[in-house]
Amino acid sequence: IQILPLSFLSAADQAFVTLATTEDYCMGALVMGKSLRRHGTTRKIVVLISSSVSPEARHSLERVFDEVVQVDVMDSMDRTHLSWLGRPELGVTLTKLQCWMLIKYKKCVFLDADTLVLQNVDDLFEREELSAAPDAGWPDCFNSGVFVFRPSLHTHSRLLAHAAHYGCFDGGDQGLLNSFFKDWAVKDISKHLPFVYNLSSIQSKFGHQAKIVHFLGAVKPWHLRYDQSNKDSYLDQFLNMWWAEYRSQMPPISGEVDGNQDSGDMLHVSMKPSRHLNAQMRWVRSWLECISSSNNPSENMTMLPSAGYGTLVKFVIFLFYLRSIIKQHFIYMFVFTLSQINTETAEESLHHRRMWEKGHVDYMGKDSFENIKKKLDIFLD
Amino acid sequence: MPLARSLSVTSLSGLEDWEEDFDLEDAVLFEIAWEVANKVGGIYTVIQTKARLTCEEWGDNYFLVGPYMESSVRTQVELIEPCNPALRRTIDKMNASGCKVYFGRWLIEGSPYVVLIDVGFTAWSLDRWKSELWENFSIGVPWFDREANDAVLFGFLTAWLLGEFAAQCDSPPHIVAHFHEWLAGLGLVLCRQRQLPVATIFTTHATLLGRYLCAGNVDFYNNLAEFNVDKEAGDRQIYHRYCLERAAARCAHVFTTVSKITAIEAEHLLKRKPDVVTPNGLNVKKFSAMHEFQNLHAQSKARIQEFIRGHFYGNLDFNLDKSVFFFIAGRYEFSNKGADLFLEALARLNYLLRVNHSEVTVIAFFIMPARTNNFNVETLKGQAVRKQLWDTAQTVKERFGKKLYESLLIGQLPDVSKMLDKEDFTIIKRAIFATQRQCQPPICTHNMLEDSSDPILTCIRRIGLFNSSSDRVKVIFHPEFLSSTSPLLPMDYEEFVRGCHLGVFPSYYEPWGYTPAECTVMGIPSVSTNLSGFGCFMEEHIADPSAYGIYILDRRYRGVDESCNQLTSFLFQFCQQSRRQRIIQRNRTERLSDLLDWRYLGRYYISARHMALAKAFPDTYCYELQDPTSGFRYPRPASVPPSPAHSLHSSPHHSEAEDDDEEERYDEDLEAEKDRLNIRQPYSSTYRLQNSLCVDSVCVCVRFSIPDMTLVRPNQFSY
Repeated sequence: IQILPLSFLSAADQAFVTLATTEDYCMGALVMGKSLRRHGTTRKIVVLISSSVSPEARHSLERVFDEVVQVDVMDSMDRTHLSWLGRPELGVTLTKLQCWMLIKYKKCVFLDADTLVLQNVDDLFEREELSAAPDAGWPDCFNSGVFVFRPSLHTHSRLLAHAAHYGCFDGGDQGLLNSFFKDWAVKDISKHLPFVYNLSSIQSKFGHQAKIVHFLGAVKPWHLRYDQSNKDSYLDQFLNMWWAEYRSQMPPISGEVDGNQDSGDMLHVSMKPSRHLNAQMRWVRSWLECISSSNNPSENMTMLPSAGYGTLVKFVIFLFYLRSIIKQHFIYMFVFTLSQINTETAEESLHHRRMWEKGHVDYMGKDSFENIKKKLDIFLD
Repeated sequence: MPLARSLSVTSLSGLEDWEEDFDLEDAVLFEIAWEVANKVGGIYTVIQTKARLTCEEWGDNYFLVGPYMESSVRTQVELIEPCNPALRRTIDKMNASGCKVYFGRWLIEGSPYVVLIDVGFTAWSLDRWKSELWENFSIGVPWFDREANDAVLFGFLTAWLLGEFAAQCDSPPHIVAHFHEWLAGLGLVLCRQRQLPVATIFTTHATLLGRYLCAGNVDFYNNLAEFNVDKEAGDRQIYHRYCLERAAARCAHVFTTVSKITAIEAEHLLKRKPDVVTPNGLNVKKFSAMHEFQNLHAQSKARIQEFIRGHFYGNLDFNLDKSVFFFIAGRYEFSNKGADLFLEALARLNYLLRVNHSEVTVIAFFIMPARTNNFNVETLKGQAVRKQLWDTAQTVKERFGKKLYESLLIGQLPDVSKMLDKEDFTIIKRAIFATQRQCQPPICTHNMLEDSSDPILTCIRRIGLFNSSSDRVKVIFHPEFLSSTSPLLPMDYEEFVRGCHLGVFPSYYEPWGYTPAECTVMGIPSVSTNLSGFGCFMEEHIADPSAYGIYILDRRYRGVDESCNQLTSFLFQFCQQSRRQRIIQRNRTERLSDLLDWRYLGRYYISARHMALAKAFPDTYCYELQDPTSGFRYPRPASVPPSPAHSLHSSPHHSEAEDDDEEERYDEDLEAEKDRLNIRQPYSSTYRLQNSLCVDSVCVCVRFSIPDMTLVRPNQFSY
């Protein structure tokens, strides 16, 4: 008679936990959650999200996960250190530590949002805190993409104290966890998970045994295009599996997104025009208040959201002098139309820049080279 | 390494000594490229070979700027203290503010000074600089594109260097900054935006978009004017790179490309017509002996023949003395490099040679590195069998010699029938049996990893060139770079080229094309196309290129089938030449070497720099062009004495010894005369220097040659 492992009996107080702080990582978390479901897990699935995740994304996560928990974003406040690593986005992963606060569960398995589950991995719950697989690049450390832990407020506060006192050697959560659980490498071999539970460098020989794939590095599956013809290497196959999972029975999140879009970025809900317009209205209003309250036009320069609008400034100043002659009302309309053409608020500018940095460029519209050329011509003349 | 050529044949009419009076006393030249002391691709070769000439012109005021890469610095650069005090202050100041800037000598010909910037060390500023980039130009750079991020860092660092240098100079300096390729382009844009006192030049060696479009099998040249460039770049996810490249082209004082064909490409894809075309040159080394390259050809050819003997063992039913060797070499881009066209033409040539019962056998080599797992057993066996036959012949010869010697000692005439005994015959027979072969000689010398999908092999299977004995065209595919340590064909690339008869490069996309240029300098005729920079350049400068062994294929205005027929006719024509005719053709090809020497082609760079100086500092420098005249015929004025090199080889002894016993004469003097008629003399133009410090009356006139007037119209530059 085979004795069932104890963990099987207490499935209700055990959970898989993941973390999504941005819209991109929500896509990853969604796929990870669905892959767990596909392989019939008997445990709960929990996702931690930050407040910056949009309601649409949150809604779609709720369809897959048993529980969606909002947490505060913790930044390691160590920007120079992080940018030295070339991974400025890593700081938020310290938010990961808050998974220790899920004390309603006895034991949890943390899976990064950039992982993909290929087989049932419920046997992970037979392991103890802190079990993890070695890091591919630095095998004396564990990789914090997959680990088993026991939620505890005590451990959580000790971790925070440790972080405050010692900092961490790479600025991310992996360095912190490794320095906190520093005896992992030597003490108990049963806490070493086999590499197939956190596979990052793909060897074709063991590729078919993989249980969890971890898409390490800066380029994630959601940055790459879905290409069914790529069947050359195991890595490409995993990539295609990721996309297949992403597309499987995906309920449309909201009415305005086209489900057949090729890039599959359903979560990239485009900025609503109403919001855009509101922001512009706000800006113009503040501008006009400033113009009417001040008698010296040059003071208004500081109000400009960013440099490079020299011509606009001159023109507005010119209009200011015209104000006494022509009806005020008329000028307001004029300024309003101008601002619609030329300006964005600082917030929108940042959002616009982030879109470029994600590789989403409106090259047929406002980002066309003609507009860039106008900026160049300002100093070329 | 400079390619050697003979001392004697210098008859290019345009190469008289050139008076260089453009006053560059207080000017400083920075040449900025990602491939300075850092080999990635072809730009490295351009900069490395050009350095000597530029050093001679600018001396201590010439600085190359590149990225600091530890591995290459350790082997190529000697780090020293900066010689120029202003530059020393600049570097010290930058190092004090969190940069790592090195100074040294690059250990290549001319040993130029290099300023190397450690890009990774300042990665902490990336986000700040990206915001600046965004605010000033509305260009964002995705964080996963590592190369583009490096370009941002490198751009800001070079602009910082130039700005700091300008500030550290005591008197207002005249700085020329020459930027190569998009990776360095941002530095140029920033120089202009910050209004630095710098004359800027931007050179593209190929456009980013052109490369991508051609790789995607687009009908490129016919649609050049119709592309929606923003869309094409955006769809290929290189929009940010393309923006950087186009911004640099837009902002530069002088914009140049490497060839006329790339100029057309740039005009449509970057929307700016290049001001000057600056072709790439080579460093041509002169031999002290006459026609040394012909001897080298014979030596190398003998070694290739040895390889052929082994490769075709058991099937050697053709006359090696009547075989010609063709080759194609380069990066493995099947259609861009024209391998498709070459194979198709070979199939047609095979048919032509067979129906004409030609005795000539063509052996075509494909030297294009692909993914392999080492040599193929059959090819290695071939070389082993050849070696064994050689050894057997040596053994029998030894024994034969000994018997002969003994009979001579006794004083008898040797009995020929007893010279080879039974044992010898057994050895000989065994050796002959060993050369039997059931299969045909292999096409590919290596085991290919993607054998079934490889484009060259697939094409060969389709056209059926399987090296059977009835085929007059045999094909050997060597999917690896040549090396002198290879057990199969132990020759380096240069030796191999020298041993071949004709290089075939029917490329569809080739901004410049060093391969045919190298062939020319080694005296080997070549086929190129009017879509390659080299082909355009030669077409423009030589009246009858094919007489000089420069066959130029028309791929621009003809369909693929027509081009293929033209290539076939070139190849067939070449096969019908006698040995003597080939020798003469090689002599003529080699005479074109000077045309490709940096000493000549460097002048285009000089003209670009002068033009930039005149545009950036119109008060100090002045630049004028004379009316260009057209046509090929430029007889040399009688008053110009022949150059010493010329008089040396025209000695009567030599031509008698060479030509007496042959019907067709090859006379150096006559050839030189022909050259003067056929090779285009570069245009002359006058540059005037106005020194604002002196009174207006001091004007120095400079005789200056600038070719290619189709791109530069005189009325455009009336400074």
